[in-house]
Amino acid sequence: MIDARQIEQLRKIIGKENVLTSPEDMVSYSYDAMNLWAHKPDCVVLPVDAAGISAVLKFANENNIPVTPRGGGTNVSGGSIPIKGGIVLVTTRINRIIEINKTNLNATVEPGVILQDFNNALTKEGLFFPPDPQSAAGCTMGGVVAENSGGPSCLKYGVTKQYVLGLEVVLADGRIVKLGGLTPKNRTGYELMMLFTGSEGTLGIISKITLRLLPAPKAEKTVVAVFTDVAVAGEAVSEIIAAGILPAKIEFVDNWTFDKFRGLLPDKTLDTCQVILLIQVDGLKETVEAEAQQIFSLCKKTAAEVKVAGDKVEAVRYWAARSAHFSDISSRAHTIVNDDVSVPRDKIVEFIKRGQEAARRFDVPLSFAGHIGDGNFHPVVLTDSRDKEHFARAHQCVDEIIEIALSLGGVISGEHGIGLEKKRFMKKAMDPVAIEIMKKIKDVLDPRHILNPGKIWEDEADET
Amino acid sequence: MKPDLSFEQIERFKADLEKCTKCGFCMSACPVYREEKIESSVARGKIMLVRAWLSGELTPTDEMAKALNKCTLCMACAQSCPAGTQVPSVVTAARADKAGQKGLSFPYNLVYRWLLPRRRLFGYSVRFASWFQGIFLPRTEGSIRHLSYFLSALGQGRHIPEIAPKFLRQSVPEINPPPDGVPVKFTVGYFTGCMTDFVFPELGQKIIRFLNRNGIKVVMPRGQGCCGAPVFLGAGDFKTGRKMADANVRAFKNLDYIITDCATCASAMKDYVKFLADTDERKQAYTEYAARIKDVTEFLVDIAKLPDSAYRVAPEFKGKTVTWHEPCHLGRYLGVKEQPGKILKALSDIKFVEMADADQCCGMAGTFSIYFYDLSKQIADRKVANIQATGADIVTTDCPGCQIQLIDSLTRHGLPVQVRHIMELLE
Ligand SMILES: Cc1cc2nc3c(=O)[nH]c(=O)nc-3n(C[C@H](O)[C@H](O)[C@H](O)COP(=O)(O)OP(=O)(O)OC[C@H]3O[C@@H](n4cnc5c(N)ncnc54)[C@H](O)[C@@H]3O)c2cc1C
Repeated sequence: MIDARQIEQLRKIIGKENVLTSPEDMVSYSYDAMNLWAHKPDCVVLPVDAAGISAVLKFANENNIPVTPRGGGTNVSGGSIPIKGGIVLVTTRINRIIEINKTNLNATVEPGVILQDFNNALTKEGLFFPPDPQSAAGCTMGGVVAENSGGPSCLKYGVTKQYVLGLEVVLADGRIVKLGGLTPKNRTGYELMMLFTGSEGTLGIISKITLRLLPAPKAEKTVVAVFTDVAVAGEAVSEIIAAGILPAKIEFVDNWTFDKFRGLLPDKTLDTCQVILLIQVDGLKETVEAEAQQIFSLCKKTAAEVKVAGDKVEAVRYWAARSAHFSDISSRAHTIVNDDVSVPRDKIVEFIKRGQEAARRFDVPLSFAGHIGDGNFHPVVLTDSRDKEHFARAHQCVDEIIEIALSLGGVISGEHGIGLEKKRFMKKAMDPVAIEIMKKIKDVLDPRHILNPGKIWEDEADET
Repeated sequence: MKPDLSFEQIERFKADLEKCTKCGFCMSACPVYREEKIESSVARGKIMLVRAWLSGELTPTDEMAKALNKCTLCMACAQSCPAGTQVPSVVTAARADKAGQKGLSFPYNLVYRWLLPRRRLFGYSVRFASWFQGIFLPRTEGSIRHLSYFLSALGQGRHIPEIAPKFLRQSVPEINPPPDGVPVKFTVGYFTGCMTDFVFPELGQKIIRFLNRNGIKVVMPRGQGCCGAPVFLGAGDFKTGRKMADANVRAFKNLDYIITDCATCASAMKDYVKFLADTDERKQAYTEYAARIKDVTEFLVDIAKLPDSAYRVAPEFKGKTVTWHEPCHLGRYLGVKEQPGKILKALSDIKFVEMADADQCCGMAGTFSIYFYDLSKQIADRKVANIQATGADIVTTDCPGCQIQLIDSLTRHGLPVQVRHIMELLE
């Protein structure tokens, strides 16, 4: 617990307008984008620059106060929840786009910039930052790096870590360290930036980010294919890749969220089918046309309906329907338990079949969606945390789906991070020696364990 | 506290309260969040506060009231919400329940319950208050308790036009037929919001003249009053709101159309049924009333279907570069998006340039800008930058509330851009 005197000191350190303590504000910073956990902090600080972050961390470190970093609070794994109380350090007021450099094809931003605002600025310059978490309208650049986020485009373009050139990070004791640089090639020492990319706020607070950019693709084309069976759709994906085409995105949703496609696709198809694939190719106009046609023909063999979007407006409507999936499904149940497993592409069909079988066995509603092109799935079990028995079955089902993914050579989290949500799987999912190394790294960088305590690998035994 | 009674209004919008999944898509849409960057200013945060209030975790403190009031009701969040959550409805309902539980504070109780519903008296007190501009009124946020009168509060520290020496209702008759020789094609009722009546009466006169010349007979019922927006939407006083709504419904009985020049008034009146209909009779009356309300540009383009040649620019604006600011209440609430552009494009003697983010809130939002003038100015500064980037001589809009905000903001920045209601451009 932070006492009144300490709050007063924090106010002196970063200005009273940047320290929140009201009961209303504590509720406001108690949650993430899920309903599985909530915990109130003792106070919230909103520094306006790296020096402010540094001063707060120095103070917290000296006083052994837990600090949970938070950007947009859109994560779905409990990462931004101050499970041990203490301070929530919010980066949203550190939000300048410092530079977009067309010659160097890079940009330097502060952590609180909203991804969508960054994308809008890049579009004006004809540039492109490919990682596209579907939460772009709310998530921050700091959160994107700290979660090593990905999205549909990662099939072709890779995830955030492939774009991080340089970071400025504030360490637990308040030291500000610069890592990496401005150039795409850099072989100076260990890749320390990569330690912080995906560290979920447990090793340091990212205060500045330099990212590699690409020129925006000249043309894009979207193909939509509707299938009666999930497994058949999975085979279509394999065929596309086998044909030597690498689309920017191959996504899918199942019939739980077909409502979002009403008016875009015939009702008859939607009423009788199980799964929609959305495929986007990008590149030069000529290539894009040819590839879209090729995908059309491949899908045609097994799909109930295939369409190539006539224009950008039509394509945008399909993609908007896809992006609404998560909140659509969330609004259909009191509680959802979702998953973020990733499996090798040649195991997709087997994974889906076994997942569906598990849901039948546990007798819980299961919706499948995700980045099928790269094998990253978001199976969602719809449940109600107030119904203890159902909620328990939902968890058992999700646990089993994770086991299935692991047994197929997959991983427990493709992009959402471990946070609180997947802690219990860490021992199964990671080499014990690797966990040991992580703990040692933590001890070096944050010896008092003030940064985002209770997350990723820390289990109760470690937390004494 | 009797929980069963005190959440009467929120209960009606429970579906919206529950729809929000906290995904945070509203963060890049909300004009208030863009400035403050704290969770309680964004739609998701407000939903969570109201949920905590309902569950008993929080009580309706001043801090809660502040969070609820810190919303321009611009509807941008609802537009970007994948779950379709109507956050403005929840905020409005929560304001009402807050007012129900805690009561309105002085002097709002006086102004809202007593003065605004009495149009003539209100007019005089506005004039009276205007003498005192500079004495009672808040210069910055936080001093709202000293607020004297709603309208004159807008004047404080702001560069706004003076209260007109002669109100519209004092300068035009109740019935305004087309000139001799012009056959009557339509008869419409004209709802003049407080701003047009007290601040911009020449706008009202111009609209009447334009409509008359195009064969539209204009009736300006004397029984009409304030639309009620500041009372039921701003302060959550639904009881007084109903009185005002009923008076307006009575005043416009028997008229096929109710034309407005203020998108805020129009959408507030269309919302009577959503917020104020507590009986079946009211529900029916308000529904029927809402169907007849048309924004003036919507009426001209969609109903009167005037030919392009009917729109000629007044001589003083010939050759000017003009841009357009879309009021939230016009575009997102009334769904009137294309019509003003059609009129502007029909004006051959001006150069029309579209501005970036034309549909983003200007930060006026009535009561909001009195509570939070500093914040309101920050929101407006972005609008000013977009206006400036167009190089326009004139920015037009369709809401006298926005007009006041734009005049104030452009003057603060020392920019020589004129602010005009779109109807003022017409000859
Ligand atoms: C509807 C929806 C769709 C989503 N889709 C995707 C998707 O397609 N792909 C994907 O990868 N994710 C997705 N997410 C998850 C989430 O949005 C991303 O992980 C996002 O990058 C988190 O950003 P944020 O700013 O909200 O971070 P927060 O939620 O605030 O924080 C996330 C984690 O990062 C840490 N952190 C935040 N800022 C910093 C910083 N500056 N320095 C150090 N640590 C920090 C926090 O402590 C926390 O552990 C989705 C979420 C939602 C709600």
